[in-house]
Amino acid sequence: MNTAEQTSTDLRALVQAAGSEAAGALATPGWLTPVRERGARDVLTMPLPVRKDEAWRYTPVGFLERQSYRAPQVAAPGILVIADIQHLLRPDSVGPRLVFVNGYHAPALSAIGTLPDGVTLTTITQAPGQLPVGLRQQVERVAEHRHVFSALNSALVSDGALIHLAAGTILDSPIEILHIAVGTDEPGICHPRHAIVVDEGAQARVVERYCSVGDPVYFTNAVVDVHVAAGAGLVHERLQTESVGAQHLTELRVTLSENSFYRHVAAALGGEWSRTNLQVVFAGEGAEADLNGLMLAGDKQLNDVHLDIRHDVPRCTSREAFKGILDGRGRIVFDGRILVARDAQKTDAQLSNDNLMLSRSAEVDTKPQLEIYADDVKCSHGTTVGELDKDSLFYLRSRGIPESQAMRMLCQGFAGDVLDRLADQSLREIAQELLDKRLSTSGAALVEGESGDAS
Amino acid sequence: MLLSIKNLTAEVEGKPILQGVDLDVRPGEVHAIMGPNGSGKSTLAHVLAGRDGYDVTGGEVLFEGQDLIALEPEERASRGLFLAFQYPVELPGVNNTHFLKEALNAQRKSRGEPELDSVAFLKLVREKIKLVSMNPELLKRQVNTGFSGGEKKRNEILQMAVFEPKLAVLDETDSGLDIDALRTVSEGVNALRSPDRAVILVTHYQRLLDYIEPDFVHVLAGGRIVRSGDKTLAKELEEKGYGWLADEEAA
Repeated sequence: MNTAEQTSTDLRALVQAAGSEAAGALATPGWLTPVRERGARDVLTMPLPVRKDEAWRYTPVGFLERQSYRAPQVAAPGILVIADIQHLLRPDSVGPRLVFVNGYHAPALSAIGTLPDGVTLTTITQAPGQLPVGLRQQVERVAEHRHVFSALNSALVSDGALIHLAAGTILDSPIEILHIAVGTDEPGICHPRHAIVVDEGAQARVVERYCSVGDPVYFTNAVVDVHVAAGAGLVHERLQTESVGAQHLTELRVTLSENSFYRHVAAALGGEWSRTNLQVVFAGEGAEADLNGLMLAGDKQLNDVHLDIRHDVPRCTSREAFKGILDGRGRIVFDGRILVARDAQKTDAQLSNDNLMLSRSAEVDTKPQLEIYADDVKCSHGTTVGELDKDSLFYLRSRGIPESQAMRMLCQGFAGDVLDRLADQSLREIAQELLDKRLSTSGAALVEGESGDAS
Repeated sequence: MLLSIKNLTAEVEGKPILQGVDLDVRPGEVHAIMGPNGSGKSTLAHVLAGRDGYDVTGGEVLFEGQDLIALEPEERASRGLFLAFQYPVELPGVNNTHFLKEALNAQRKSRGEPELDSVAFLKLVREKIKLVSMNPELLKRQVNTGFSGGEKKRNEILQMAVFEPKLAVLDETDSGLDIDALRTVSEGVNALRSPDRAVILVTHYQRLLDYIEPDFVHVLAGGRIVRSGDKTLAKELEEKGYGWLADEEAA
């Protein structure tokens, strides 16, 4: 069996190295110690995912074989100054901003400003002793590590945002968590971990971004825990625009109490290998989850979304709408599992996954799964895989628009369903620009290939 | 000569449709091409616009003296050819104003003209939209998506007004329109008639010609133009149908 120590990147060695380093290397508030210990134990016993594991069948982690990843050192203060990241900042971003460089908090780049009463915004390493209980519980929540990577994150957490909204607090301006990767001498692996707790009746918007300066090779292994309490709401926007050589894994776990809502809009556009595991657990009746995602798999990119939606209680609603665009030899993996428990009557769940293939060398592996044990529910799923509509393409060309531009416009139209849900114009623009860039680099090959087919 | 079609033959999916079409169009002229279903009217329109799958097998088409068939569809548009579709395509997610602007600027760029900025473009569109009595709200919508039949046709004529082509081919623009919509669409087309601009109306029915008066009427049957005349020919067809022409052909 393929085990962690048999790859070029020895995950166990990473953990052991961290353990033997001076206690200061990884800052550890007391309450985090059990999390780290449990993580370290699990890393030692859990195998690396292999193709036999259904959940990883189409998403091999071969990059760990090809490269030797090391834990990045705490970034020297000043490795990046604000001028270096100016182009990544959004002009219309008015809210507080926490910046992390290679997984470590960068206070000089962050901007907290004055927060209204009831809002706690800090980081794991800077957390005050008296963290709000809900928040602390959320970080400590060592849910069963579902795979070795989340165990690794627990063991090696570098830092992360801690966001808490006390009951009834409404925060209008969005909180931005900005991850920036910069190249180091060898590929790094970093382990950010964020916790967001929105207490009873509170409302917030959090924007999470992962990007890079230059084109470094690195592996982001993130864990994000979200709890939305009764009657509360969270809008959670995630934009992954990592470098072309990067790997990105997010384990995102959301629990929803009664009558809460959670809106998720994600665009995963970058990286060589990108995967999001999104788990939503309905823990209280009458909650709503609206989950939207766009995946881009340009040439040689792999983009994976695994949903694990658990309707454990009655009268909850979920919408899962995920779209993929593939080009060149890109690959998309979509696994949409919705579980409706026996008691979860009146569940309303609708899942869709639509994919646009710009190339015949691309591959989609899509698997919607409804597991329904209740008998009074409204559930549906649908998946499509299609090419660009020839009539649409001709219509645009007949108006003078060159073929490659026409293709991009149609792709943007397809992606618009998701991107238009992003609340800020600047976020939409970042996503559209990258989409455009990625498509125009591999677009030429497509046009050639297509005319070859037609003749 | 703006457009000169000589002995044009074309096939669709291996089936011969056009069997030797000859047609000359000068600037300022309005030609109506009529004919029964399946006669090749729409095929001719699509061959001119350069649609994939409509393969020219013989003859030639010269547009301002240049070989039109050798050009990509977008090049034809940039040189001044416009096809108003019988069934305008819905483009979900593509904003109508954005589409119009991208198209106009692509054409201008191709012709070596400066692109219009947003301010100049919006001014132009606001002026043109009056010509076609189109609801300006439709500019904010996705191209043709959820438009009524009349709205789609108006949107086609708006494009024609914005692009100011040298030759507009209107493929069954009257189909699916009620009388009010037909009137406003026709008024739009008439407003765009000019000594520099030619129009080819492809239509099955004579009623469009009550609103847009043609200089010439041609009857296409069996993939060839079997009869040409002035507007009185359209009246004759209205009364007698197409059957008598087929009979004459056979005789």
